[in-house]
Amino acid sequence: MKFGYRLFLFLFFFYAIVTVVYWQLANEPVGITALSLSAGLALIVGYYFWFIDRRTGGILPEDNLQGEISDGAGELGFFSPHSWWPLPVALSATAVGMGLIIGWWLTLIAIGALLVSILGFVLEYEKPQSHQDH
Amino acid sequence: MTTFATAPIEAESLPPRSKPGKGRLVVKWLTSTDHKTIGYLYLITSFAWFLIAGILALLLRAELTRPGMQFLSAEQYNQVFTMHGTIMLLMFATPLFVGFANVIMPLQIGAADVAFPRMNMLSYWLYLFGGLMAFAGFLSPGGAASFGWTAYAPLSNNIYSPGIGADLWIVGLAIGGLGTILGGVNFVTTIFTMRAPGMTMFRMSMFTWNVLLTSVLILIAFPPLAAALLALESDRLFGSFIFDPANGGAMLWQHLFWFFGHPEVYILALPFFGIASEILPVFSRKPIFGYKGLIAATIAIAALSVAVWAHHMYATGHVMLPFFSFMTFLIAVPTGVKFFNWIGTMWRGSLTFETPMIWILGFLITFLLGGLTGVILASPPLDFAVSASYFVVAHFHYVLFGTVVFSMFAGFYFWWPKMTGKMLNETLGKIHFWTLFIGFHLTFLVQHWLGIKGFPRRYADYLATDGFTGMNMVSTLGSSLLALSMIPFAINVWITRKAPMVNVDDPWGYGASLEWATSCPPPRHNFKSMPQIRSERPAFDLHYPHLSKIEK
Repeated sequence: MKFGYRLFLFLFFFYAIVTVVYWQLANEPVGITALSLSAGLALIVGYYFWFIDRRTGGILPEDNLQGEISDGAGELGFFSPHSWWPLPVALSATAVGMGLIIGWWLTLIAIGALLVSILGFVLEYEKPQSHQDH
Repeated sequence: MTTFATAPIEAESLPPRSKPGKGRLVVKWLTSTDHKTIGYLYLITSFAWFLIAGILALLLRAELTRPGMQFLSAEQYNQVFTMHGTIMLLMFATPLFVGFANVIMPLQIGAADVAFPRMNMLSYWLYLFGGLMAFAGFLSPGGAASFGWTAYAPLSNNIYSPGIGADLWIVGLAIGGLGTILGGVNFVTTIFTMRAPGMTMFRMSMFTWNVLLTSVLILIAFPPLAAALLALESDRLFGSFIFDPANGGAMLWQHLFWFFGHPEVYILALPFFGIASEILPVFSRKPIFGYKGLIAATIAIAALSVAVWAHHMYATGHVMLPFFSFMTFLIAVPTGVKFFNWIGTMWRGSLTFETPMIWILGFLITFLLGGLTGVILASPPLDFAVSASYFVVAHFHYVLFGTVVFSMFAGFYFWWPKMTGKMLNETLGKIHFWTLFIGFHLTFLVQHWLGIKGFPRRYADYLATDGFTGMNMVSTLGSSLLALSMIPFAINVWITRKAPMVNVDDPWGYGASLEWATSCPPPRHNFKSMPQIRSERPAFDLHYPHLSKIEK
């Protein structure tokens, strides 16, 4: 993770410097806004990586030059085997957009469908607390 | 030296079912969360868009063959070039990157899947529906959007561009763009958190590096586009005045659009540079020359590319010319470094010229010419002379077609055995390359001179006395050759379905990155076993232990 925050903090400083230079030279508001927001984006990600790196400490197996494949043995995490939910989420999101063009009735229906399908997507693998020992 | 990691997924241990029926196969693809299947969906869909936009391009070329209007009206011509540009950039090239990244990148870092498999599928659906929505404008009464893929304000407001075709374009792109942003988040997370043990950042393959930096650029570039599109739609629907020229809206749109648009060019270029960096070492039998230099160049391109956007706007007279000109010249330096590295990789190597290698050489030649005209256009006095002429059209087709299409076919031929387990036919591959290469250069080389003589882009017609007729006819002839080159490829794909399985991990013999250490095609979660990772060439180290630097 060390490289992660170095990359994003480098981007932050680079964009910050470019913002200042551009402000001084061009003084044009759209570019200043866009560049400073880009610097902000890089700062958020970089700070998050730095924060996580400081919290976890130590070297992760994937950052270890002598890392062995067996260091990562065991459970890798949960991977959904297949899922129907992305389809209704995308369909209803598209219908929300379509409704803007062909009529508000569709947008209102589609917002409801979008909320339901987002709930379905998010809660697909949620189980009652007592069974969470997979 | 090979160590084993247990595959933790219960689904894998189920006994194999008998051959699934058609219905089950459809359901399997519709509900897939496998990064490879989603990657194939992306590749197939984006290739279909490539063919559709290619047909639109043929319509444009046919219309321009002779002076006078042949078969399109001026409005139809505007719709066709708008949709040609939009589809090629946002429904073909960008998702093609997502497709290659999905199929290859997790294999190269030794991951079981991407970080968010269901979000990956959501990205695909948003891309598909957004694209279909923008394209559906052709079915609307007023026809599709006709303001050019740049949608400059105030041309794109509802006075100059009435009709729902424009609205479908704007909202469709916003939905597709959302899918792209989710894809970018997915790839950045995957690369930072799901590498195999020992796969340090500076052992990742060049393609993975390029995927990482492309994804970072997506995170920076696509939100401004989404914001600009939604603001434009708000102008059209609710009568807001965000892009009203009376309060500087015309320049506001151009700044926002190109703040997306220029990084977008690098979003299209970087992953395909990555494909070149994968293929050249394999067919040169050498490690990539200057690995860390290439990474530094890639980071430099990614960083600089957000600070050059207004070089698309020199002719407005409202931008800081010295700043943008300087930054644009500056970005040519890391691009030159990449060329240096690619040539250094081939230098004194044992070159063989299999089809993927030929495509990459075609990429190098074509992109070099596009890059050189880019340096010309970076200079404001030269840009003023040819701005919005066919010189610019020739320039960006050399850049984009050179990188995206040549590297795409290189990637198809290179990774076809990895994706399907079968090798594409070499002879047909070479016929395919030479027809496309000659067709492409015949179409676009002449357009440089057409532009210098003063033929403006986006014009549906010209006069016989303008002196453009001969060059336009050459260009149209080239475009038909270019289109015909898809036939050998189609035959190749068709006959290859009966080809024997390769049954080895590395059919090319000298594969370097980790995807060549698993079977062709890989199992559901990618690796039955994984080699020790001690360099940026883990598969090469595995297959040629006596040549590797690993100490036993």
